[in-house]
Amino acid sequence: MLILKNLLRRRTRTILSTLGIALGIAAIIAFNAVGRGFKESLDRYMRSTGAEVLVVNRSAMAPEYSRISKEEVDQVRALPGVEHLSPGTFTIISGRVLRKPKIKFLTVFGRVPGDRLIEKFKGSLEGRLFQADDEMILGSDAARDLELRPGDTLELLHHPLKVVGIYKSDVKFESAGCVVPSSMIQQEMKMGDSVGLFWLYLKPGTDWKGLRTLIEEKCPNLAAIQTSEFTAYYNQLDYIDWFVWIVSLISVVVGGLGVLNTMLMSVSERTREIGTLRAVGWSRGQVLRLILTEGILISIIGGCLGLLLGTFGAETLIHWAPRGLDTRYSGLLLTQGFLIAVALGFFGALYPAWQASRLSPIEALKYE
Amino acid sequence: MSEPAIRTKDLVKRYDRAGITALAGVSIDVERGHFLCIMGPSGSGKSTLLHLVGALDVPSSGEVMLNGRSLATERNLDVVRAREVGFIFQLHNLIPTLTSVENVEIPMMAVGVARRERKERAVQLLTEVGLSHRLDSIATRLSGGERQRVSIARALANRPSVILADEPTGDVDSKTGDQIMACIQAARKKSGATLVVVTHNPDLSRGADRTLHMKDGLLQ
Repeated sequence: MLILKNLLRRRTRTILSTLGIALGIAAIIAFNAVGRGFKESLDRYMRSTGAEVLVVNRSAMAPEYSRISKEEVDQVRALPGVEHLSPGTFTIISGRVLRKPKIKFLTVFGRVPGDRLIEKFKGSLEGRLFQADDEMILGSDAARDLELRPGDTLELLHHPLKVVGIYKSDVKFESAGCVVPSSMIQQEMKMGDSVGLFWLYLKPGTDWKGLRTLIEEKCPNLAAIQTSEFTAYYNQLDYIDWFVWIVSLISVVVGGLGVLNTMLMSVSERTREIGTLRAVGWSRGQVLRLILTEGILISIIGGCLGLLLGTFGAETLIHWAPRGLDTRYSGLLLTQGFLIAVALGFFGALYPAWQASRLSPIEALKYE
Repeated sequence: MSEPAIRTKDLVKRYDRAGITALAGVSIDVERGHFLCIMGPSGSGKSTLLHLVGALDVPSSGEVMLNGRSLATERNLDVVRAREVGFIFQLHNLIPTLTSVENVEIPMMAVGVARRERKERAVQLLTEVGLSHRLDSIATRLSGGERQRVSIARALANRPSVILADEPTGDVDSKTGDQIMACIQAARKKSGATLVVVTHNPDLSRGADRTLHMKDGLLQ
């Protein structure tokens, strides 16, 4: 009764403090959900290729900057253990270039007509796969934003391309992109006959580590990565984690300071009351627990609100952000968010609680 | 002969920072169930004496014994305040956001009385001090006299052996003051507790078993 009434006594301050915690936790949940969602999208995309190995140029910071010559492609294709090699190119086109204001950018995947990599779309395709150099297929999100249907034409990289099919994908950036013949990207990006990267489908029983050694011996500027290890390999994805970590840290500090400020003010205003509690027999520990519980209660309410706001915020973020972002929530993330909130309440209230418990009853009763 | 309820020996209290000696060696005995009135002007040391007897503060030297036990050897003065002593303050010091019943429950929470029993006892005590119609009123909505009655009920909550009242009528008019004092006396008689009242109002000494006067930290 005392705890609730104390918190309700200064409603605005309690609400603001609760909101401080809630926004901090919401930021942690939202940025983590989007960050993890993006990384998981990449993993899902890699799994969806069905290939075991991805090969990129070792010196490229990211796959979009990777270049691999035709000679290197042919050398790897001829290695024992390689059942099939699927080359790919990749670029991103701004929505302004496309003169399509509804989209911020379009991810363009270059593939070889008839290759195994585009066979995966067959199951969800409306229309057909492309067969000629002036045809393309569009992801369902991109088709909706571009307001295109099979049979329509899209001017892309100075080429009018006929949309022959619309595919669905559970990978957001793929669903918000399109697949065109690789030759068109090679021509427009002045790549000659080189490719950006390629996937390897291995013969059963092939030792992938042995194959990696072979690839890297024959072509020292190539790096072979297991598709299941893609996000671990590209350490620039760690920047996402760093960003999330820094935002989380700032949120935690702000939320903690909010609770600290609220509880310090509360203790200061209630000095005489704390003196009364001590005078009628409350122990230091009981006073400490009273103030701590008030802080923790604020943080529990703030934490629950933060989980809701964070989920809503992440979904709003990916709704308004350029298409292709995804979210991922896990029980662990939500539990972590909640526990951080409780810890904020505990540590934010710890000093004020300690201060309150140290008050001499007689000094507190004399406090004006 | 049994031990007195309260015994002080050469009690001294100095405030070194301010260079003040509030008590300069006070020795008193108060028999169990007696009513002692301590009178004196402001600054005479009477409230300081009450605070030391009630374990709210510790003496610079000398000793306080409650029911034969020295407070100097008590490991936990919180327990002494909770179980042995009931305080009635001049400004009642109620928690403003709580109801009358909840305020009376506060000392019982200190000693872990179960919620149901707390409430039953609080209602009974408030009824005894004539506040059965104000059980669920928030403290800030009570009159000065009503607040002091709640304070009396709170002081009796843990059935203390000693009731200490510091200017209990100082914040109310004389008519209400008489009612408050009658209420305290009735509570004392019913509970059998020892009562010490400090005041500068001579009217409050009516009915006292003994009246002492203090000046400059000494008994006169």
